[in-house]
Amino acid sequence: MLWLKTLGAAFIVSGFGAYGLMGARSISNRVEQIRDIRLAMGFLEKEISYLHTPLPLALERAAQCTPEPARTLFFECGRTLQDRQGLTTPEAWAQSLEKLRTVADLKDEDLELLRTLSSQMGMSGVDEQKKLFGLVQEQLKIQEEKARREVESGRKIRAYGGFIFGATVVLLLL
Amino acid sequence: MIPNCKGGVNMELKDEDIIKNNIVPYLSLSIKEIILKMKTQYFKGLEEIRLRSGQPLLIKVGDKDYALDEQGNIEEKLKRGYVVSAEDIYRSVASISDNSLYAFEEEISRGFITIPGGHRVGLAGQVVMKGHELKTIKDFSGLAFRIAREVQGCSSEILSHIYPRDLEPVSTLFISAPRCGKTTILRDVARNLSMGTARGRGCNMVVIDERSELAGVYRGRAQMNLGPRTDVLDACPKAQGMIMAIRSLSPHALITDEIGRREDIEAIQECTNAGVAVITSIHARNIEEAEKRPLLRELLATGAFEILVVLSRRRGPGTVEEIVRWDSLCCG
Repeated sequence: MLWLKTLGAAFIVSGFGAYGLMGARSISNRVEQIRDIRLAMGFLEKEISYLHTPLPLALERAAQCTPEPARTLFFECGRTLQDRQGLTTPEAWAQSLEKLRTVADLKDEDLELLRTLSSQMGMSGVDEQKKLFGLVQEQLKIQEEKARREVESGRKIRAYGGFIFGATVVLLLL
Repeated sequence: MIPNCKGGVNMELKDEDIIKNNIVPYLSLSIKEIILKMKTQYFKGLEEIRLRSGQPLLIKVGDKDYALDEQGNIEEKLKRGYVVSAEDIYRSVASISDNSLYAFEEEISRGFITIPGGHRVGLAGQVVMKGHELKTIKDFSGLAFRIAREVQGCSSEILSHIYPRDLEPVSTLFISAPRCGKTTILRDVARNLSMGTARGRGCNMVVIDERSELAGVYRGRAQMNLGPRTDVLDACPKAQGMIMAIRSLSPHALITDEIGRREDIEAIQECTNAGVAVITSIHARNIEEAEKRPLLRELLATGAFEILVVLSRRRGPGTVEEIVRWDSLCCG
């Protein structure tokens, strides 16, 4: 009977611990993902302002030099626009953000920031586009800083917290 | 009188194909559905599709405007037509520009965007100025889809005058009111002279297409067939283009549309003195009206043009009213 209790306790502690570790990793991943999106935005800005590349192609090129999962956002949006199904950029971008939500570790506030970009993306002159992408990159940098601070404080809490919470549950059950 | 190029059932089908393949994909979904419901017979002679925010959807067939209702029926009473929304305009602009207005800044500042097939979409909206120059248009309120057609062979009978047997092409001025088919004929002249005819070999041609109408260039490629020996200077001011062409492209003849400024006149004289024929057009209903414009009177008096061709719409676009040997008239 003791071995069964020990095994159960081990399962509970390791289960909560693993959950905590995943949470900790998610916090770290968010920083990486925001940075990847910011760099891709910089690439997109250069494609638009210097080469005047049409948006669907510029998004595809930005996707090519961006790692997953951030790549999903640019690739999906570029592909949707290239399909010429009558969708506008805000609609295609919103669809891609929903896909990104399922595969990335971004928070709602990050996604909301990216959503605000879409109403202007592509639909003004080069100077305005440059300002828009500059602003978005600045805001992403701020989000990245915030996320980085959260990593410092939150990673240990989540990583150890999971095990501690698991152990507390075991104690209560005993 | 040179007969017009006539179209029958085949022409209707061709027009329908052109509109369905080249124009409809750029319209908003609701307008797309309306145009696709339109009866085949209305596609023939369809010259324009007009979208104005808050106004009925209009089409121009020949000289008449008609509204289109939601079922794609033609309505003479315009108020019965489908009312175009601001969203229809936005979606169409997004589609025309590939969601990339920044890539069309130059075209927008000229007031139109050329789409594949060489069709032009005229833009209306709020104009933004920078100093004395038009910088861009924003908050679009109206779009005019002008359907470009190639009518191959429409210049074949004028051609014997422009390109006499075994000789070089001669300088020719087309005199025409707007919408009388001069651009279509100039395009066909360019193609025929470039390809060569039974009367003579093909010539090196340069088309100076300041308003992107003759060649319908889209992303650097002419959408109209202008023949194998034709170079296009797209969006190039006429006067500068003519001088540039005779210096660098060694043409037998130059083709350009709608001259009228002093620098155009000077460049034409430069070209004809250099032995290069200039085939061009002006807006006027007849020779008398053209001669009332001081600059043109001056140009015509120099004998720069050997032939004048007067066009009208009397029997449809491209009706040739008169062909005049001007060199013998003006210079004895």
